[in-house]
Amino acid sequence: MRQSIIALTALFTIYSTPISSFAQESSKIKSETIKVKGVCSMCKKRIEDAAYIKGVKRADWDQKTQELKLVYNSDKTDLKTIEQSIARKGHDAGAILADKDQYKKLPSCCAYNDGAECAH
Amino acid sequence: MHKAIPLSFVFALGLSGTVSQASAQDAVADTIVAMQTVTGHVFDAQQKDGMVGVTIHTPDNRHHQVTDENGAFTIQVPAGTSQLIFSFMGYRTETVSLTAGTTAIEVKMQEAGLKEGKELGTVEVTSRRKTTEIGLSGTMKVEKIGSGELMKAACCNLSESFETTPSVDVGFTDAVSGYKQIQMLGLAGAYTTFTRENIPDIRGLASITGLSFTPGTFVESMQLSKGTGSVVNGYEGTAGQINVEWIKPFEDKAPKWLINGYQSTQGRSEGNLVYNHNFNKHLSTSVLLHGRSDWMKVDMNNDGFLDNPRGNNFVGSNRWFYFGDRGLEIQGGIKVVNLNTIGGQTNYAEGTPQVAGNPWGYENKVNRLEGWAKIGKVFPEKPYKSMGLQLAATIHEQDNQYGARSYNGRQQSFYANYIYQTIINNTNHTVKGGASAQYDAYQETFTGTPLKRTEVVPGVFAEYAYKYLNKFNMVAGLRADYHNLFGAFLTPRLHLRYAPAENTAIRASVGRAQRTANFLTENMGLMASSRAFMINGNDISTLNNNTYPFKPEVAWNMGLNLTQKFRLNYRDGSFGVDYYFTDFTNQIVVDMEEYNKVNFYNLNGKSYSHSIHAQLDYELIRNLDVRLAYRFYDIKTQYNSGLKEKPLVAAKRAFANIGYRTRNDWKFDYTVQWIGTKRVPQRYNDHEQHVHGSDYSPSYWMMNAQINKSFKEGKYEVYLGMENIGNIMQHPLITDASNPFGNNFDASLVWGSGMGRNIYAGFRLNLK
Repeated sequence: MRQSIIALTALFTIYSTPISSFAQESSKIKSETIKVKGVCSMCKKRIEDAAYIKGVKRADWDQKTQELKLVYNSDKTDLKTIEQSIARKGHDAGAILADKDQYKKLPSCCAYNDGAECAH
Repeated sequence: MHKAIPLSFVFALGLSGTVSQASAQDAVADTIVAMQTVTGHVFDAQQKDGMVGVTIHTPDNRHHQVTDENGAFTIQVPAGTSQLIFSFMGYRTETVSLTAGTTAIEVKMQEAGLKEGKELGTVEVTSRRKTTEIGLSGTMKVEKIGSGELMKAACCNLSESFETTPSVDVGFTDAVSGYKQIQMLGLAGAYTTFTRENIPDIRGLASITGLSFTPGTFVESMQLSKGTGSVVNGYEGTAGQINVEWIKPFEDKAPKWLINGYQSTQGRSEGNLVYNHNFNKHLSTSVLLHGRSDWMKVDMNNDGFLDNPRGNNFVGSNRWFYFGDRGLEIQGGIKVVNLNTIGGQTNYAEGTPQVAGNPWGYENKVNRLEGWAKIGKVFPEKPYKSMGLQLAATIHEQDNQYGARSYNGRQQSFYANYIYQTIINNTNHTVKGGASAQYDAYQETFTGTPLKRTEVVPGVFAEYAYKYLNKFNMVAGLRADYHNLFGAFLTPRLHLRYAPAENTAIRASVGRAQRTANFLTENMGLMASSRAFMINGNDISTLNNNTYPFKPEVAWNMGLNLTQKFRLNYRDGSFGVDYYFTDFTNQIVVDMEEYNKVNFYNLNGKSYSHSIHAQLDYELIRNLDVRLAYRFYDIKTQYNSGLKEKPLVAAKRAFANIGYRTRNDWKFDYTVQWIGTKRVPQRYNDHEQHVHGSDYSPSYWMMNAQINKSFKEGKYEVYLGMENIGNIMQHPLITDASNPFGNNFDASLVWGSGMGRNIYAGFRLNLK
């Protein structure tokens, strides 16, 4: 029992140290938040899949705030490229409007400009 | 967590709220570094009055408050918070921007128009759920098993759906019936409380068979918690609680039609159909059907016995939901089950006389009817206040034939539970109180010996929940019950949670649990042997049928656990370790150590279970999830022959699961497990002499894999999988299989897989 308590304490100490400091290690790594329009969990998957292009470390889209949090390597990509990739899949992303044809192909529950609401 | 919340969820929580459906994320509170205080008033835009009970929260949902009777509120939010969201049932949700330095705000709430009825429903529910969450969420460690996890084991019923859950061990009950049983903390499934949407489901005579009667296709999600649960759900549940949420017809994500087909190479065919219909925003219904047929004679280990009985199983259910305008919620359902199987020696035919020289046969028939209802009321002007009544009735009949031995049982049960929930001053203090009644009438016959028992247990309970700044939670509950056979008893339970840092939660629990063991049905597997059934050392036939021969089982359970979430290399992960100790004050000991006997008696000495479980979940690269787990048990019981390890339970088990999803919706899933050695009960030769040198089973590996492909955003899905890839089976599975009517026949000592490699394929259609 004693060993397991020690192990527990040790693990706890390791994991309690802030890991977010990783992001600041290099100035090439940028964190930005952009607005992306969408409705539901199906949109979330589509948006995030589109955001994960080469150089993107992390993409988290929040359905409620309509915000996409991005972490990327600025040597390998830039915000505009990421936004274009999302817009090509039919979602307004930051300054770039969605590809109109792709928007029309979205499932009806993802049609954010036409009052779709879904509780996925 | 950022999604609209199904109405039923409110219902379930409003009524009982014991299994908190918190994802791990809620369970870990955030640190409050720099906080600012925002005060203000909320008014009705038309009537200009202050509004009580309006929910205020930050966009990330981490900080909540409710307005008081004058419409005033004070909320602590992290400095820099840019928005606050105000919601109230029947009103439009308002989002208010905060600029730097804002301390006092006024908010006018607009009543929602009728045409926005659908949105209204969503808003109402969102606010309701949060208030409930504040009080209870996270105080208990809950593993939420969502539909994604359930899909990893595309087959088929509740017992099989735990194959990818390291907290639960799944094993065959015996070598002939095909039933699988589960264990938590190394204790049999009967020590775990099974609830369907918080109403007790699998109890009594169905403790083993019942798991087969919840098809996976009906299930939306499951919540699993170890240790004693909330007193609201009763005094049972020594090892833990498993709550199952079915598909709800009124949820937007519920398909109109859900059709599933399955076929395995071991001759098992299944079909499932779920039909959901919403008549209007008030009324909805589901029809759920399941059919299973095992039509092939399968004997992969060539012992002359079918590995799995042949036969059919049908499950059908119909559910109704009604949501009124003023917080009234009513739901009800019925479920019917019919099962008819035949197994045993491959050449056995139904009704063959069971005498030496004829083939040994196994037969099983089950008929079960369940009905249940929930009536709930939330007070629209006081969303923190609710009350509910749960009602359930069950009739269960089963006939079993194990060679010359027959076991028949009939159970009639009725359950009622009334729960009232409110707050004291503010939502930091929540109280629940209520009363319950459980009635069970059992009539069993074991090869001519009748056993009869009626249990009536009325009880009252109270539970207080306290939270301090998302850092500390406490739930303290007490119930008093009166049992017609065993008298009055108290059930105290306490749960604590402390979050010392961001993404860290430490939880502790302690509680008492009591139950009446259905020692025959819970040990049905042992009937597949030549062992004589003994009660306190005397043959069961000497039993007086009017008295239950044992004391109730009483145990104390204590638990301590740590959950740590982390982000490493931009990917999320979590680590958890838990320790549980169960100490039996009394237990019905199942003693298989004597020659050709199984003896049941009250515990005389110690019986305990120590369980340590460590688990790491991490997304190694995007869409590649890895789960590693290890658990260790130390379970010992005082037998007449001494303190011994619990037989047929692996003390050590290691588990690894890798899941990968591609962007074009292929899913790959692979599970490998190592199951450690298990103690085998004392073995004897034909001359009743101990056989030495084979006290432990060998350890072994089990591997499963599955490939899924979904089309059209999940509308169609096909899967192909393989179980027991290594084709590892226990040899011999049955002791003295060639002489089933002799004194050494034993098909109940199962420590390994009774079935070999299995390949299966299936499809799912989700039609809107």
